Amino acid sequence: MTATPLIRAAGVGLRFGEIVALADASIEIREGEIWAIVGANGCGKSSLLRVLAALESPARTQGTVTYARKEPLAAQRAFVPQRPEVGAAFSARDVVRLGRFAVGRDDAAVVRALGEVGLLHRAEIAFAALSGGERQRVAIARAFAQVDRGGVLLLDEPFSGIDPAEVARIAGALRARARRGAVVLSLHDPGLARAIATHAAILRGGRITESGAAEVILTTANLSAAYAHPMRNLGGWIVPELDGGR
Amino acid sequence: MNPRAAARGFVLLAIAIAVAALLRVAIGPAASDDGMRLAFGVPAGEILGLRAQSVLSAALLGGALGLSGLALQVLLRNPLASPFVLGVSSGAGFGVALVLALAWSLSIPAVAFGGEVAGAIVGALSALALVAWFGRAREAHDPTTLVLAGVIIGSIFSAGTMLLEQLIPYGLRGDLLAWMAGRLPELPTQAALWTLAIFAAAGLCIMWLHAHALDVATLSDDEAVSTGVRLHRLRATLFVIGGLLAAVAVAYAGPIGFVGLIAPHLARKLVGPRHADLVPAAALAGAALLVGADALRQVIDLGTGRLPVGVVTALAGGPTFLWLLRNGRWAR
Repeated sequence: MTATPLIRAAGVGLRFGEIVALADASIEIREGEIWAIVGANGCGKSSLLRVLAALESPARTQGTVTYARKEPLAAQRAFVPQRPEVGAAFSARDVVRLGRFAVGRDDAAVVRALGEVGLLHRAEIAFAALSGGERQRVAIARAFAQVDRGGVLLLDEPFSGIDPAEVARIAGALRARARRGAVVLSLHDPGLARAIATHAAILRGGRITESGAAEVILTTANLSAAYAHPMRNLGGWIVPELDGGR
Repeated sequence: MNPRAAARGFVLLAIAIAVAALLRVAIGPAASDDGMRLAFGVPAGEILGLRAQSVLSAALLGGALGLSGLALQVLLRNPLASPFVLGVSSGAGFGVALVLALAWSLSIPAVAFGGEVAGAIVGALSALALVAWFGRAREAHDPTTLVLAGVIIGSIFSAGTMLLEQLIPYGLRGDLLAWMAGRLPELPTQAALWTLAIFAAAGLCIMWLHAHALDVATLSDDEAVSTGVRLHRLRATLFVIGGLLAAVAVAYAGPIGFVGLIAPHLARKLVGPRHADLVPAAALAGAALLVGADALRQVIDLGTGRLPVGVVTALAGGPTFLWLLRNGRWAR
């Protein structure tokens, strides 16, 4: 692929004193791509996302992260944490509108974003009154509104604690959005990663051990190594072998 | 909340202030006013003017406390934050007491309001920094931990103030004791009123100009930064505004509790969560509460003089705080 990467990370790392959370990671995110970052707990998935999103202090990071466009960072990437928080009685529409803070007010972009996540009919409901899955979708819509002109969405464990129907809705919205941008998401479920992602990176001990096309990277052998646990293919869905056998 | 509902909230606040102000001007006990006339040589015809000045004094003070409370609540992402609960008022009080004690030890007969303000600012910001540092649990400011840290640090500063009080000769303690109870000055100097007005107006303007950023700051830190808010700069601004307004208020009238806590909550109920509305509404709610408390204390006659306004706000605000805590209303 020859398109200019929306984000290019070269040899990036993240340290907390003596603790190395991420080391020498390189990745290029291009338009149309959905990247799944997979690996065991504490392997550096969130660290990689935060470094790509430029959320970490430069004093802690190493390497370079380059964004393609000459415009404010807020217009080029948006980050959604595992548990979105809103400490005020804002409605869903208000929360999505906050995404336009640095890129200019645009109510049409807000409506578009709410429509993309299927929550236009719930726009006036208080964020606190929404279900967990709906809150996650509102947070994603906030990110959609922020990078409405195309950009990279960085999502940390967006499916954590979400029921399968909500997972399907969120995944659908992300796939649709990737047509005019890119998506990078950390995931615990390798089967889900293979279902959603076009590309994947496997992290182990803070380092990217494998990266490339999802169907090539997300194999039972690679994932068994990543999780230090045997995995098997169950009808196309990669799942862990249960301890003690079936 | 839609704009019409917010406008209705502002109208209610304006009515509340107007009613409280009218009551304050109309119902002062005559005996006290005679006393004031005898004590200060004020002609009877000027009593209404003085009462109007008291309304202005209480309104500015309440506005400053309301804004300080709102700034601290956003700064610490904690709806239970306020200058009184977090010990900032106690820190400012210690600063003022320290200045007064130093002045006495150096045989300086009177301390200018500017000296008290300077002492209060150092004390308030020191207390706020200590609370923020001790109350920091891992990466987030946990509401309960912060309040506990505020209570302890406030107690330490209060103990320090009482220690200083012991160093001052008995006959000179009266003013300090009255001030510690939270008392609106009967005849504030023009300099003190102007200082209070300038700080309150500056705090109001700066916070209102940051209103959109304050909205975004209600998101998690990562989301706010990702959205483009310069969170460290915003928090530094709120730290300074919250601390300075509390300090000036304490230097002016002593530690007056709960107005800084209740006013932002009242404002949220009336005008909604958007800070473009909430910032002026918190100032107006603080003004309404304190003018109302000042009016209320005029009708409470215990035969021993008027109650300090700080006693009225504590008696009304304390139970409200407990109600907020019990019902979890602060969480929304």
